[in-house]
Amino acid sequence: MEYILTTKQLSKYFYQKKALEKVDINIEKGKIYGILGPNGGGKSTLLKLAAGLLKPSGGEITIDNKNPGVYTKSIVSYLPEANYFYKWMKIRDALNFFKDFYDDFDMERARKSIEFMKLEEKEKITSLSKGMLGRLKLALALSRKAKLYLLDEPLNGIDPVSREKIITSILDAFNKKSTIIICSHLIYYIEKLLDYVFFLSEGQIILAGEAEDLRNKRGISIDRLYQEVFQ
Amino acid sequence: MITLLKYEIYRRWKWLVIRYAALIILGLIFFNRASASPMQYDIIAASMGKFFLISIIAFAIIIVEGINMLKEDLFESSGYLTFTLPKSERSILFAKNFLLFVQLFLWALVSIQFGTMFLKLLPLEEVSRYMAEIDLPVYPAILFVLTAFFNFVLMVQFSLTLTRTLLYRNKYSGIISVGIFFLLAYLIENFYYGPFLNQIKHAYIEIGTSSASNIDLLSGGYTAVFLNIILAIIFFTATAYLLENKINI
Repeated sequence: MEYILTTKQLSKYFYQKKALEKVDINIEKGKIYGILGPNGGGKSTLLKLAAGLLKPSGGEITIDNKNPGVYTKSIVSYLPEANYFYKWMKIRDALNFFKDFYDDFDMERARKSIEFMKLEEKEKITSLSKGMLGRLKLALALSRKAKLYLLDEPLNGIDPVSREKIITSILDAFNKKSTIIICSHLIYYIEKLLDYVFFLSEGQIILAGEAEDLRNKRGISIDRLYQEVFQ
Repeated sequence: MITLLKYEIYRRWKWLVIRYAALIILGLIFFNRASASPMQYDIIAASMGKFFLISIIAFAIIIVEGINMLKEDLFESSGYLTFTLPKSERSILFAKNFLLFVQLFLWALVSIQFGTMFLKLLPLEEVSRYMAEIDLPVYPAILFVLTAFFNFVLMVQFSLTLTRTLLYRNKYSGIISVGIFFLLAYLIENFYYGPFLNQIKHAYIEIGTSSASNIDLLSGGYTAVFLNIILAIIFFTATAYLLENKINI
């Protein structure tokens, strides 16, 4: 079995506060994973460690058998929850920026996504609404032909109509050569995408399994299971 | 590296053009006023003073911008974009500081050019007398000032990076950075420049090119410039190391 991301006893502490503690996960190539859990459970920390933004306090994380660094950043497409664009950027600038820095960026796909998301290239990013910004971030992140996509709360602040557009875009971007990890607490919308789920709480994995297996064994949806686990 | 530099320039090119254009245009206006009043030294001196005031403001803007170039990426969400680019943190830092150095160099070029033009309007013997009194080696002094202020920015960048490394999302980060900066400044002045400059003073006495009295950093000549370059390398390397291996964005 080929893994794109592996963690061994991965821990992250901020001062005395534990964000992740001794997490062991193996992410297979060609699947869509959901990391589910309440706010503050460690989901974003895990993605930031994979993106190379945070450094582990203990244990190890590898992507395509390499520690986070320049190579892993070239194959990982990270979508943070925050607005990470520079204030001076227009949508057109952001497109060119991605084209210049990422060899795997597909400008044609990006332009189609921008159009599909009903955004205009001449718009200044600071003038976009939260929903438009979420759509733009996703359009850019998914227009890379990355090996690993890390999507941190891609549906937060997005209206229901846009959520459907985003789900469609994620499915369009996915192929058997890529892997997608989605962190979210809006399970209802993403459930149909997921092959495998991890339930993360207080920095530890408390439940994991194939989405279909969990549904069959428990006789309830992942959304319902989430509500039971975190009640 | 080139792409990083391209975007560092692109994101602020309008301000770069405005800044240098304003400096040159105002310099020409003041020089024109001064040269239209030959032998009226109070008018020449006033024009010269106004130009240097403008020049210092432009310089302060360059320094603040040099600090903010890294500060924004360390403390704001744009860091997620900058530090997930497939470029080493060292090259990201280098691009920012290369632009800063180029800006300082251009500023020095414009200011020295106008300074020379203004000096030529003053009586030659008067200027020569002042220069002899100051007894300052001009080129090393200019290089020293440039490298010293470049180091100032590097030191602030290091203090900010160290604070961010030690304290993740702490509301007191700003004040702690200032504390670290002053501690570093104290240590450098007393334990880095101090011993070396004593040696420089001794060397001057031996070769007899300068008075041994009133020796200070500026009279350290090229040796002081060399010390600054070493310090710049140390701060750049230390900041790059923290960015690559320790910091949490």
